[in-house]
Amino acid sequence: MESSITSLPFDLKGRKILVVDDDRLNIRILAGILRSEGYVLADADSGEKALAAYAKFHPDLVLLDVMMPGIDGFETCRELKKNYGDQCAPVIFITAKNESDDVVEGLGAGGVDYLPKPFKAKEVLARIRSHLQNRMLSEQRKLLVEQLSAADAAKNRFLGMAAHDLRNPLASIRGLTEFLRDGAVGALTADQLDLINTIHGASQSMLDLVNELLDVAIIESGELKLNLAPHNLTELIAKSVSLTNMEAARKRTTVVFTPPATAPILTLDVAKMRQVIDNLLSNAVKYSPPGSTVTVTIQADARVGICSFSVQDQGPGIPEGERDKLFKDFGRLSVQPTGGEKSTGLGLAICRKIVEAHRGTITAENLPTRGCEFRVVLPAHA
Amino acid sequence: MNFTGTILLVDDEPHIRKFVGLILKQLGAPTILEAGNGEEALEIFQLQRPDLVLLDVNMPIMDGLETLKKLKAIDPDCVVVMLTSLANRQTIEDALRLGAANYIRKDTPKEEIAKTLGETIDACFESE
Repeated sequence: MESSITSLPFDLKGRKILVVDDDRLNIRILAGILRSEGYVLADADSGEKALAAYAKFHPDLVLLDVMMPGIDGFETCRELKKNYGDQCAPVIFITAKNESDDVVEGLGAGGVDYLPKPFKAKEVLARIRSHLQNRMLSEQRKLLVEQLSAADAAKNRFLGMAAHDLRNPLASIRGLTEFLRDGAVGALTADQLDLINTIHGASQSMLDLVNELLDVAIIESGELKLNLAPHNLTELIAKSVSLTNMEAARKRTTVVFTPPATAPILTLDVAKMRQVIDNLLSNAVKYSPPGSTVTVTIQADARVGICSFSVQDQGPGIPEGERDKLFKDFGRLSVQPTGGEKSTGLGLAICRKIVEAHRGTITAENLPTRGCEFRVVLPAHA
Repeated sequence: MNFTGTILLVDDEPHIRKFVGLILKQLGAPTILEAGNGEEALEIFQLQRPDLVLLDVNMPIMDGLETLKKLKAIDPDCVVVMLTSLANRQTIEDALRLGAANYIRKDTPKEEIAKTLGETIDACFESE
């Protein structure tokens, strides 16, 4: 066995070339040049025979004469492109020198290059080598993309399984510490209670992380199914606001929501959209300094068929240059929560995926003075 | 809820049996039997005829759906509540179609589990 490591990027020996020309002499000349490089050849003396030979030989490259009796080179090339599409081997036309119209039409018919007659061995080999290498590169790229997406799918399956199996024990740890905390098995000292609360907090944040990982795995594997029904957006936001305000009170932060005059009814997955709203509100509270005001508004425009809601905070805003990380998995920015809250870096990525599944958009803009605004735009008649 | 019957708690994970068992005790259930898989559950069911079965879905030896079918074959009127970990709609639908009375998600807070259990018991044993 020869070593698979060569100084050339690719070993082109053994690559298959189909030579098509009605002039046997041209075929002989080309065959002589090509065999010296170790290519494997087949030939045909007409367009019709070329099509048949292609189907049997599966060449990596086709050298195709333009002027032939029966269907000409251009027609043969179009036929090959029609039959094999993106998979079709590159076609190089053989033309007489100075036939620039032929060259243009040949490239239009799907050819990648042309070889002028009379042939110069070095030129023929150089052009063929470069097109074969291109083809191998694109084959390799295709294979890599396939391998990567298979690896990505495997990652999602693994993530889903791992997260799934971690969830039960974590839920038990959390639940059992609640029993201890509530004194179900006897009174605790202050120190014991402190430790139990720490275990409870840690298991809760692990559970949150695992749930978010599961969400990502489910969404990424294309298994996000929306349970669509008409819902009142005002009511949905009001529920989330009142829940968030209970948490926000710890930081003396208030979420203010002024419902619009008419409540927009949207077709959406209520649990998923609630997740988006909860996430945006808790982020706004998380990154605003204590004592801030978070403002939620709804803008419905039935005439253009969209409805949007926005959440404005009073935090530091999105640092320049970190904007593109914002909606990506694990895209944690340099800004820190102001009350020691946790962040997994998955929340906004999940929001974006849910909003996009609703055929909506989610954007973030810094406000002129301070803070930033997250805006979700949804189709109003989905 | 004022439930005086016997409950059979089936789950292969001991920590889940402990956790759900504590919730049941807090709800006032006097007698709780435990099984670690479907086969054990069937044996105990035959001997003790519990009033209520809490049944895990994913278990070794015999899974929850298979166990549910067999329980229903022994006693079509037995009350079975499934214990699931994920909102796996298909499994839940299958279980409900096979005659399960309700389902409980083990990863929800204990108050929620207690509420669902209490409601199911009230609904199933109201007339007794």
